[in-house]
Amino acid sequence: MPPAESAAAPAVEFAIQKRRVRFLGLTLDECIKLFFGGNAVVSIVVLTLITYFLFREGAGFFGQNRVNLQVYRQAGLEYVDYLRRQADDHTALTRYLADVRLRTVQHHTRTSGKSLEEANAALTEFDVYVERYSAAIDPLRTMVGELSEVASAIKTKFIVNEDKKEERRQLLAEGKMAEAARVAIDRVDFEAELRPIRAGFPAYRTLNRELSSTLTQLAGNIPALPVPELQQRMERFAVLSREYVGTFPEIERSLESWDHNAPISASQAFSSFLFGRQWLTASFWQDWYGIIPLLIGSLLVSLVALALAVPLGVGAAIYVNQIATPLEQKLIKPCIEFISAIPSVVLGFFGIAVLGQLLRNLSQSPALAWVPGFPYSERLNILTAGCLLALIAVPTIFTLAEDALNNVPRAFKEASFALGASRLQTTMRIIVPASLSGIISAVLLGLGRVIGETMVVLLCAGNRIAIPDFTQGFAFIVEPVHTMTGIIAQEMGEVVRGSIHYRALFVVGLVLFLLSLLINFGAQKIVRRYRISVG
Amino acid sequence: MEPPAATSPGPAGPASLRRPATAPGATAPTQAGAVPTTHPVIDIENLDFYYGASQALHDISLSIDHHRVTAFIGPSGCGKSTLLRCLNRMNDLIDGTRVGRGRIRVHGVDINQPDVDVIELRKRVGMVFQKSNPFPKSIYENITYGLRLQGVKDKARLDEVVERSLRGAALWEEVKDRLHESGLGLSGGQQQRLCIARAIAVEPEVILMDEPCSALDPVATAKVEELIQDLRSKYCIVIVTHNMQQAARCSDRTAFFYLGRLIEYADTRDIFTNPANPQTEAYVSGRFG
Repeated sequence: MPPAESAAAPAVEFAIQKRRVRFLGLTLDECIKLFFGGNAVVSIVVLTLITYFLFREGAGFFGQNRVNLQVYRQAGLEYVDYLRRQADDHTALTRYLADVRLRTVQHHTRTSGKSLEEANAALTEFDVYVERYSAAIDPLRTMVGELSEVASAIKTKFIVNEDKKEERRQLLAEGKMAEAARVAIDRVDFEAELRPIRAGFPAYRTLNRELSSTLTQLAGNIPALPVPELQQRMERFAVLSREYVGTFPEIERSLESWDHNAPISASQAFSSFLFGRQWLTASFWQDWYGIIPLLIGSLLVSLVALALAVPLGVGAAIYVNQIATPLEQKLIKPCIEFISAIPSVVLGFFGIAVLGQLLRNLSQSPALAWVPGFPYSERLNILTAGCLLALIAVPTIFTLAEDALNNVPRAFKEASFALGASRLQTTMRIIVPASLSGIISAVLLGLGRVIGETMVVLLCAGNRIAIPDFTQGFAFIVEPVHTMTGIIAQEMGEVVRGSIHYRALFVVGLVLFLLSLLINFGAQKIVRRYRISVG
Repeated sequence: MEPPAATSPGPAGPASLRRPATAPGATAPTQAGAVPTTHPVIDIENLDFYYGASQALHDISLSIDHHRVTAFIGPSGCGKSTLLRCLNRMNDLIDGTRVGRGRIRVHGVDINQPDVDVIELRKRVGMVFQKSNPFPKSIYENITYGLRLQGVKDKARLDEVVERSLRGAALWEEVKDRLHESGLGLSGGQQQRLCIARAIAVEPEVILMDEPCSALDPVATAKVEELIQDLRSKYCIVIVTHNMQQAARCSDRTAFFYLGRLIEYADTRDIFTNPANPQTEAYVSGRFG
C-alpha cells in the first residue's frame, strides 16, 4: 500500500530495531555457537589423539617382534625347541599311561573290591612297562638340557651386546666420546657359537634310532588289562605311540635343513602375534606374544555374559514395556538401571567372595552333574566372570531395548488388537519384530560394553593364559582364562617403557579398540538400515 | 444446554430403531443381495462412559443397522470417536477408562459382560484407523495377519483370502504384482485401502472407520468413499468423520454428537436438509464446529 494513504491511520510505535550486544566482536548467538562447536571439536580431537597414540606406540611392536623372532632362530633356540617338543610329546604319552593306570586302580578297588595294595600289586607288570616307556626318553631329555644351556648362553651374549650398544648410543648422545669408546662390543658370531649345537646332530641321530626302536617294540607289547574298555585304551595308546614314532624322520629332516640365518619376514612377525597361540612373557627361554588366548578369553567371557544378559535384558524390557502396570514400571526400571551404578570393582569383589564360591558349591551338587564341566574346582573361571559381566550388560541392553520397543508406533499395536490379536500375539508378532533392529543394536552395544570391561574379568576370570580345552564340549566354560583387558591392566604397570612387552600390550589395546569400534559401528549401521519409517 | 436428547428419529426414522434387540445368540445372515434388507446389529442403551473422573459420553442410546453406512459427526471432542471405540472395546487399551451406566449389545449380546471374549468381539467388529497403519511387513503378510492369528496355515486358503480382500478393497489391480513388498511402500491412499482389506480379511460383520480419509488427498478420499459404497452390501459400516460433505455423500444415517451427548440421529438426508434440532442445523450449516 502506498505510504501516502496510511497517513490517516494513527501512528503506531513499531520499534523492532535493537542494538546487538557484541562480545569480542561476536554476537551472543555466535558466542554460543562457538562454545558448543568447540566442545564438539574437542571430542573429535581427543579421539584422534588417542587413536594416534595407540598406533604410534603399537606400531613399533612388529619391528621388535621381528628381531625377537630373529634372535630366537639365530641363537639356536628354535633348533632346541624342535627337540624339546619331541620330548614333550613323549611326556604327553606317559601321562596317558598314568591316566590308564588310575582308571585301572579305580576299577580294581570299586568294581572288584580289592584293597589298594592288592590293586597296586596286580599292576606290577604294567608299572614296569610304564617305567621302561618313560625311561626311554631320558637320553633325549639330557641332550635338550645341554643344548638349552648353549643356546641360552648365545642369546644372553647377544642381549648383553645389545645393551652395550644402547649404552654407547646414550653416551654418544650425551657427548661422552671417551667413555663411549671404552665400551667394548664383541660381535656375536652365530655360526661359530652354534657349532657345538650342530655337532650334536650325529649323536641325536643314533639316540633317535634307539628311541624309535624301543618305542616301536613297546607299542607292540602292550600289557594286558582286566577290562575290555581299558584294553581298548591301551590299544589306542599303541596307535598314538606309533604315530609319534612316525614323526621322527620329519624332525630329523627339519633339524638337518635348519638354517640359523633364514630371514624372518615382516608377515611372520605379524602373524606370530595375530595367530600366536602363546602369550609368554619374562621367560628365561623365549617370549611369545600371541593374542589368540587373550582374544578367545575375552570373546568367551563376553559370549557367556551375553547368553545370560540377552534373555534377561530383552525379557525385562518386553515385560516393562508391554505387560507391566505403571506401578511396576516405576519400580522395575530404576532398579535395573541402578545396577549400572555399582562400581565394577565391587562387583568383582562380590564375584570372588560370593558368586564364585556359590557356583562351585552348586556345581558339586549331584543334581547338577549333567551340566557340562560340573563339578569343578576352579572358583574363578569363565562362568563366574560371565555371570558378573551379564549383570553389567543387562542395564545397557534393557534400557536400549526398552527404548526401541517404545518407539514402535502405538498404531501398530492398535491395529493388531483390532484384528483380534491377544496381547502376547501382538507383542511377539508385531512389537518385537518392528523393534528388532533396535534390540539387536542394544545387544551389540551390550557386547561392546562387556568386551571392554576390565575390573570384573581381572578379578574373576581366573587369569590363566591358555586356550581353553574345547574337546570336552561345553565344559570349557568352567576353565579359567585371561582377557585382553585384564592383561593390559595387569602387566602395563610392570613393563619397561618402550620394550617389546610394553608395545605388545599397546597392540592388544589397539585390537580391543578396533573390536569395540567395529561393534559400535555395526550397531549404528543396523539401526539406520532397518529403522521402520514412522508415518 | 438442553437435557440429553435421546434419539430423536426424523420423519423417516424406521420404527425398528426402538425395537428391542434380537434374541441373544441369533446371528444375522450376511447376504450380499442386490437390495439388502436391514435390521439392527448394534444397540446402544443409555451409555455413560468415563475417562478417569471425567465423563466423555452421556446417556447415549442408538441403534445401528446392517447393510447401512452410519456416520457419526460432530465437533472435536464431542465423543464420536470414543463411542466408536466402545463398539469393539478398543478403549480397554487406555488406562482408566470405564463404562458407567448402560449397555452396548451386538446381536443382542452385551459386549461389556465379563464373560465376553474381547478377541472374538474384535474379530466380528473390525476397525480402520484415522492414520493408515499397515504393519512393517509385506502386503501379503498384512492381509493374512488376522487369519494367521487364528491359526490358518493353508497356503491356498491364504492366497484366496488375500486376493478376495484386496479385490474387495479395490486394491488388487494396483498391487497384485508386488504382494511381497512392504506395505509401507504404498501411497497414503493405498495404505488406507490396504488397512481396509486387512480388516475385511477376517470377515467381520461390522467395520468401524475412525476418520479414514482425514489424512488423504481428495483423489484418494474419493476412492475410499467409493469403496465404502461397495462394502455396504456386505457389512455394517460405522464411520466417524469431520467432513460433513463426506457424511452427506456416503452415509445412509447420521448421528450428530455434541459435548458427549447424542443430539440427533436420523436419515442422512433429513439431517442435512431438515434437521429437527437447532444445534444440528447450526452445525451442518457451518455456523459452529
